[in-house]
Amino acid sequence: MTLQNHLATAPVPPARAIEISGLNKWYGAHHVLRDISLNVAETEIMVVCGPSGSGKSTLIRCLNHLEEYQEGHISVFGNALQRDSQSERFIHQTMGMVFQNFNLFPHLSVLQNCTLGLTWLRKKSEREARDIAMSLLDRVGIADLAHRFPGQISGGQQQRVAISRSLAMDPKIMLFDEPTSALDPEMVKEVLDVMVNLAKTGMTMVCVTHEMQFARQVADRVVFMQDGEIVEVGPPEQVLLNPQWDRTREFLDHIL
Amino acid sequence: MNNDAGLKQFVAKPARVPPHNDQSLVRRIHSRCFNTPGNSVLTIAVIILAWYIIRSALDWAVFDAMWNADTRRECLNISPNGACWAGVISWFNGLIYGRYPADQQWRVDLGFILAVMWLFPLMSKKIAYRNFILVSWIGLYPFFGAYLFLGGEFGAEVGIIHALFTSLAAGFFILLYANWLLAALNQPDLCERVRPLVAWLFPRGIQVICLLVVWGALSLPVALILSQMALEPVAIERWGGLFLTLIIATFAITMSIPIGVVLALGRQSKLPVIHWMSLLTIELVRAVPLITVLFMAVTLLPIFLPSDMELDKLSQVLFAVCIFSGAYMAENIRGGLQAIPRGQYEAAQSLGLGYSMTMLLIVLPQALRLMIPNIMTSFISILKDTTLVSIIGLFDIMLMARNIANDKDWIGLHTEPIAMISILFFIICYSMSQYSLNLEKRLKADRS
Ligand SMILES: Nc1ncnc2c1ncn2[C@@H]1O[C@H](COP(=O)(O)OP(=O)(O)OP(=O)(O)O)[C@@H](O)[C@H]1O
Ligand SMILES: [Mg+2]
Repeated sequence: MTLQNHLATAPVPPARAIEISGLNKWYGAHHVLRDISLNVAETEIMVVCGPSGSGKSTLIRCLNHLEEYQEGHISVFGNALQRDSQSERFIHQTMGMVFQNFNLFPHLSVLQNCTLGLTWLRKKSEREARDIAMSLLDRVGIADLAHRFPGQISGGQQQRVAISRSLAMDPKIMLFDEPTSALDPEMVKEVLDVMVNLAKTGMTMVCVTHEMQFARQVADRVVFMQDGEIVEVGPPEQVLLNPQWDRTREFLDHIL
Repeated sequence: MNNDAGLKQFVAKPARVPPHNDQSLVRRIHSRCFNTPGNSVLTIAVIILAWYIIRSALDWAVFDAMWNADTRRECLNISPNGACWAGVISWFNGLIYGRYPADQQWRVDLGFILAVMWLFPLMSKKIAYRNFILVSWIGLYPFFGAYLFLGGEFGAEVGIIHALFTSLAAGFFILLYANWLLAALNQPDLCERVRPLVAWLFPRGIQVICLLVVWGALSLPVALILSQMALEPVAIERWGGLFLTLIIATFAITMSIPIGVVLALGRQSKLPVIHWMSLLTIELVRAVPLITVLFMAVTLLPIFLPSDMELDKLSQVLFAVCIFSGAYMAENIRGGLQAIPRGQYEAAQSLGLGYSMTMLLIVLPQALRLMIPNIMTSFISILKDTTLVSIIGLFDIMLMARNIANDKDWIGLHTEPIAMISILFFIICYSMSQYSLNLEKRLKADRS
């Protein structure tokens, strides 16, 4: 499929889920994000890639308020982010996040990890929370491990639990920060399968990942970052197969 | 990516059985204790020394000891080189209960049995609201215990509020046991039983209101019964012995955790006032000996309090011991908090849990679990430290023991009471440390 072809057949993008404009961030004197401007449409799957230290994690963590930034604006579904508790609550209700090293709560069982937010934040009854969590665990194929503890299951299973835990809060946007890079190769697929299925349900997703197979399969756009800058944005065919920039090409040659 | 088609699939060989250990006991002793001449000499020397010590200890404590005598003179006349347990035996009641009136001592026994029974249902996996049991033990039982130990009549010596909480505590205890029994019989619990009625009256918040209704309904008859009874009042000055020691120690141990948590979190706080206040409290209290904290509580506390409020000595001591143990616990807990990875906070935050929920549900449970050995060590040292309160004149087990030597019948009897106390403390502290080991093992078996 050519680029023209793709643009012609691409549906009109729906409402904007995330708008980032003029985002700048420094760690001390170290300029980590430089003038990032980017929009993510609703139901869009955006893959962010780039060499190590290019600021991918920092960018995605700024979206989720895990990291402060010094300049720029981010708005989510039209709500401008502020550093107040109301804005913070809105952000955490709308966005779920999946981390590179799972960050499951080790003292709680798999099921309790998933029901925690439902019972304490959404004020669901125990039974309701349990039903929701079990159906999600079933969807990612680990319902039979519900009563194990995180230390007793494999990395791939842990990451699937982490995804269910986020999905239990019914987010509109899911952020993934290298969800498969801490996994052994044979477990990568089981997590990617879950993500592909999630993408098909119309979830808005921002994924930092180096799984180019995944990007080609489901991404609507791929962002390539280097040294805190967005070097290239476009549909996967363009960025991955026909990169306009030397740096992108170098990087892709490296990891493919 | 994976081009392992040509590779042969890896099949593990079955594990070999470990080499059979056919060494007999004699061979094993030989290979460990007598394998070199030096080792042999050491082994023999240790055996001789141990024999010598154990022999003389047994001679003193058992073979030459006097179990029956009326005075110390009598002991010395018959067996000058043996222990005079008769003195300890005749004072045993005092060592345990202090000067609590003999005909009222059943109240102390009952109080301790109820305190233990209160926690019993925690062992059952079926019972609901487990955390609530612990909270009620800390928050409600003391009222009931104080009523039982102090005595008095509702409305007279026992104030209205105290009477109310006493009844609520008793009601809760009955509720707890009724539900436990029903759960054991696989019956719906009391709350389930009144549910239709409550659901009809209050459509919202059924769970909580059910509990309150049942609890209230059980507390009311208890209140009526208790108000008809009048326990003989026993002044705090008459409390003493192991009874008082355990009250102070239990109080200090249970309060040290919440105080420690508050101080540790305060120390980590970003608000300067809270941070410096916590830091100052922790460092000040840790920098002075317990005795000075005790003396300060007794002499300074009355100055800070409004003049019409008079605190008895026990409350002052409890205050001092709680602050002291809390400050030490704060440092334990801070160690645990630092061991929790940042990812846990981030995961909690991205779920939308606020500060207090993150701490209560995610961070503190893990931090406390990590610190079980240190916390248990603190508990044991708190228990032992409470013997210092005898210095400011509370008749705890230590002062009662020293009192024996002042009794005109047992004048100068120092060693035996101290030996007796050592044995008691050893039993209690050793069980605590065994329990902590057991707890650790159980939690580990559960989790990884
Ligand atoms: N807490 C911090 N303090 C100071 N510098 C930081 C901090 N976190 C990240 N950085 C720096 O910010 C830059 C971007 O980091 P970031 O983690 O966003 O990179 P990344 O693209 O996610 O890399 P990777 O692929 O290795 O995860 C790096 O140069 C890093 O050294
Ligand atoms: Mg990263």
